[in-house]
Amino acid sequence: MPSGQCQLEELFPDPTGRAQQEDIHANTIGKTVVIDVEANRLVMCVSAHLHTGMSMGVIRTDRLTRRFGDLVAVDDLSVEVPRGGVTGLVGPNGSGKSTLIRMLLGLIRPSSGTADVLGHPISRPEVYASQVGALVEAPAFVPGLSARANLRSLARLRGLPDVRVEDVLMTVGLMGREQEPVKRFSLGMKQRLGIAAAMLPDPQVLVLDEPTNGLDPAGIVEIRGLLQRLGESGRSVIVSSHLLAEIQSVCDHLLVLRFGVLMYAGPMADLLQRAESHIDVQPEFDSDLERLHQVLVDAGWTVTTDSSGQLRVLAPLAAAAQVNRDAGSGGVTLRAIHARQDDLERIFLEMTGTNDDELAASRAAALRPPHDPGATSNEADR
Amino acid sequence: MSGRHAVADRMGNHRPGLLNVVSSELLRLRRRGIALGWLGLTTAMAVLINVVMFQIVKNGSPPPLNGPGINFPTATTLLSDKGIVAGLPAASSMFGVVALSFWALATSTDYSTGLVRVLVSAQPRRWRLVMGKWMALALATALTTVVALVVSLMVAPIAARAAGFTPTAWGTNLGPDLASATVNLFCALLVWGTIGLALATLTRSSGIAIGVGIGYVLLLETVIKAAVSSAGRWLPGTTIAALANGGTPDLTYGRALALGLVYVVVALGAALVVFTRRDVTD
Repeated sequence: MPSGQCQLEELFPDPTGRAQQEDIHANTIGKTVVIDVEANRLVMCVSAHLHTGMSMGVIRTDRLTRRFGDLVAVDDLSVEVPRGGVTGLVGPNGSGKSTLIRMLLGLIRPSSGTADVLGHPISRPEVYASQVGALVEAPAFVPGLSARANLRSLARLRGLPDVRVEDVLMTVGLMGREQEPVKRFSLGMKQRLGIAAAMLPDPQVLVLDEPTNGLDPAGIVEIRGLLQRLGESGRSVIVSSHLLAEIQSVCDHLLVLRFGVLMYAGPMADLLQRAESHIDVQPEFDSDLERLHQVLVDAGWTVTTDSSGQLRVLAPLAAAAQVNRDAGSGGVTLRAIHARQDDLERIFLEMTGTNDDELAASRAAALRPPHDPGATSNEADR
Repeated sequence: MSGRHAVADRMGNHRPGLLNVVSSELLRLRRRGIALGWLGLTTAMAVLINVVMFQIVKNGSPPPLNGPGINFPTATTLLSDKGIVAGLPAASSMFGVVALSFWALATSTDYSTGLVRVLVSAQPRRWRLVMGKWMALALATALTTVVALVVSLMVAPIAARAAGFTPTAWGTNLGPDLASATVNLFCALLVWGTIGLALATLTRSSGIAIGVGIGYVLLLETVIKAAVSSAGRWLPGTTIAALANGGTPDLTYGRALALGLVYVVVALGAALVVFTRRDVTD
């Protein structure tokens, strides 16, 4: 059996041959694989630190599962988060992000599987708690106490000197407001305070759930810069967010979850490389539309027509000039030509479904019993 | 104080201990709502009981039947050496209800604000969080006990004079009387408070915890005592009242102390088991 198939089985316990084995590249040793569940095939292999036999990651999970009654919040998750840099954790609502974070922090226990943080099992969070800072869901403070008093109480809990409080207040830009009771803070200020609390222990691993929630644009830029600096300093920052543009701009690595199942794990750049590009073209005269279509097809391009009747050439961005030349050679002058590439949001939606109906359909498919002849996805196989 | 109790391991990691939790908890108890509310209500109760009990004796009417909450002292008791602090055991159940409420409030706020997830991720040894909170609240309870004592010492002479009494026996055994009244009230409040902490940990709601606690003492225990009189003296409310009074004809001080300890251990044990085993989903 090729090593790549072994990898696939470790990540997705029962590929059952439905993933097109020919798509599995031979050199997937130590690579992350991506499964297109809808198409039921292996999409790509990207370099990561999965299953290399030697743990390089700051967080590693092995078949980690958490059930709440019938609901499987995190499903057989095996993944490794690389040390250093910023890793994004994304997924639709209910995809298991918060459950995963809570398990890593020792707030809830897994139903099965194992995981470790900084090399220590999550069954003993007290061993690594001093090196992990976290903002889990909404920032939580005593409303009647000042920002400083809240942070001091957390510093004392962690056995840290009060000077750390001043450091983190300065870092998140709350100096000058530190004496105000938290109940008077705006959502953005509470968010900054939450990040300050997470940074109190000067952690090696920083886990932030929606860190830019409620921040104004300047605040978002500020926090983005802070996260990048922390990542570049060798710390491992894990950011969970629905703001995919933010994730794309700040993260080096990405984990995508859907219904508790890992959809992607690997470098952001590798994921973005698979983004489809296209070139939208408009002839000078609408009457030339059909002619332009034919000219481009004759030139060898794959051309589609969108709902507004605009022609779309499926081609790399760099092909725009050639498309323009081909149209001109065919006697059609272009009024407009736009080269576009899918961003993370587009890729994410393709992976996870674009609307609630799609998500519900996917969910139903994922929950369908394995013996159901209609079940075709890898999720259903599990 | 911060950082002094933390121990660093060979890797330089901070290993905060129980005293760090206590220190952290004490700081959070300083919030105005808790501090002023608790001390204010304690002061108000102390003033009220001293004024009312002397007025009842002044009117010459027999003390009202002891209902749940208050055991009115007789004129003889008020004029004895213990009379100056008679308000403390008399209103111990009122002080107790206040203590239960604030212990429950301080505990349930951790859940309602989501602070519990911050606390547990910072100190995963959860038993330390429970014990640290218990110790911090016990210290706060000691402070409120002293406040109740001081207020009683200030108000009782005024209330006595206003009622036309000149209690000459007061002060003849002042030290032991003050000490016993303070310790007894503190022990009683500790049992009340621990029950409040346990109820709030179990229910994660101050409203339910306070409702259940007060409802039990004011209603349920009275009903149980009426139905099964032999069991009455073992019940928490009766035990705590006996503890505050330094013993009663039905329950000696030593037995009340032992029973109170049992109730504290059981309540604290329940809180520890639940808190250490339950998922933090708040």
